[in-house]
Amino acid sequence: MNCQLCQKNLDAYQEGRLPSDMMTQVESHLETCDSCKRIYNAQLLAGRVIITEKETDANPFLVTRVMAMIENMENTGHEKESLRIRLLRPALVTVSLAAAVFFGIMLGNLSRPARNADKIPVELALINDASLESVDILSNE
Amino acid sequence: MEEFEIISDILKGDKEKFRFIVEKYQQMVFRTCMGFVHDKDDADDLTQEVFIKAYQSLPKFKMESAFSTWLYRISVNASLNKIRKTSGRSFFQRLGSVFSGEDKNDPLFSASDMEDPENILIRQEHFHWLQKALDSLPGKQRTAIILSKYDDLPQKEIAEIMDITEGAVEALLQRAKKNLRTRLSDSDSPFVVK
Repeated sequence: MNCQLCQKNLDAYQEGRLPSDMMTQVESHLETCDSCKRIYNAQLLAGRVIITEKETDANPFLVTRVMAMIENMENTGHEKESLRIRLLRPALVTVSLAAAVFFGIMLGNLSRPARNADKIPVELALINDASLESVDILSNE
Repeated sequence: MEEFEIISDILKGDKEKFRFIVEKYQQMVFRTCMGFVHDKDDADDLTQEVFIKAYQSLPKFKMESAFSTWLYRISVNASLNKIRKTSGRSFFQRLGSVFSGEDKNDPLFSASDMEDPENILIRQEHFHWLQKALDSLPGKQRTAIILSKYDDLPQKEIAEIMDITEGAVEALLQRAKKNLRTRLSDSDSPFVVK
C-alpha cells in the first residue's frame, strides 16, 4: 500500500469501516511509514478534541432565557404599539379640531359675498333714485 | 404532538409551545454553534440568538422541509455571521483569556484535581490548533465538515441544509479533510508526535 491510498483510507480506518483485509493493509503501512503515522496520530488527537466539544452541554437555563426574551419581545411590541396609540390619539384630536375650525372659517367665508351682494355700494346709492319721491307726484300736488 | 402541529399552534399565537421546540433542539443547535465558535459562552449566546431568529422567522417556514433542516440553516448562517463579525477578536482575546485564566472555567479545559497541569496545557494547545485548522478552511468546507463531524449528519442531509448536491458535499468533505490533514501534520503542529 502506498501513502496516498493509506491517507485516503485513514478516516474509514479510524472509524473501523474498512473491510478486514484493507484494515490489515493500512495497519501494516502505519507501522512502517512515519509520515502516515504522524498524520494518523494528528487525526486521532483532533478527533478527541472534537468529541470533547461535542459532549459539552448547552446552558441548562437556555429554555428559560429564550422564553423570557420572547415574552419581553412581545411585551416591547405591545408597549410600542400602546405608546404609538397614546401619542397618536391627542395628535389626531388636535388635527381634527384644527380641520373643523378651518372648514368652519371656509364655510363662513363662502357665505359672506352673498350677504355683501345685498348691500348697495355708495356710488350706486347716489344714482339709485328709486327711493326718491316721483317728480310727477310733486307736480300733481 | 406532531411538530408541524406545534408550529401551527405557535403561529396561531400560542407562543408558550415554542418551549417544546427549544427543549427538543437546544443541544443540536448548541453543538453546531460550538463547532464554529469553539467557546461555550459564545455558543450559548449564539444558540439563544438562533432560537430568537427562528421564532421571528417562523411565519416564513413553509413546512416543505424538516424543521431540523431549517433550524440547521439558521444556525449555520448565524454562526458564519458571528465569525465574520468577530474575526479580529480571536487572537488577542484568546491571548487575554489565557493570561487572565478565563479558559480554566471552560469545561473543555477543566481538569480533575488529579490531572497533571502539563496535560491540561497540552489539551489547550491541541484545542487551539484544531480551532486554527478549522478556521483556516473556506466557509463551505468548514460548514460541511462541522455538520459531518460535530452533528454526525449523513451527506444527504448536509446537501439539503447547504442547498447543494450530495456529490458537491462529498467533494467539499474530501477537500476539507485533505486541508485539515495538511494543517494538522505541519511540522510545528502540536498534534505531531515527535
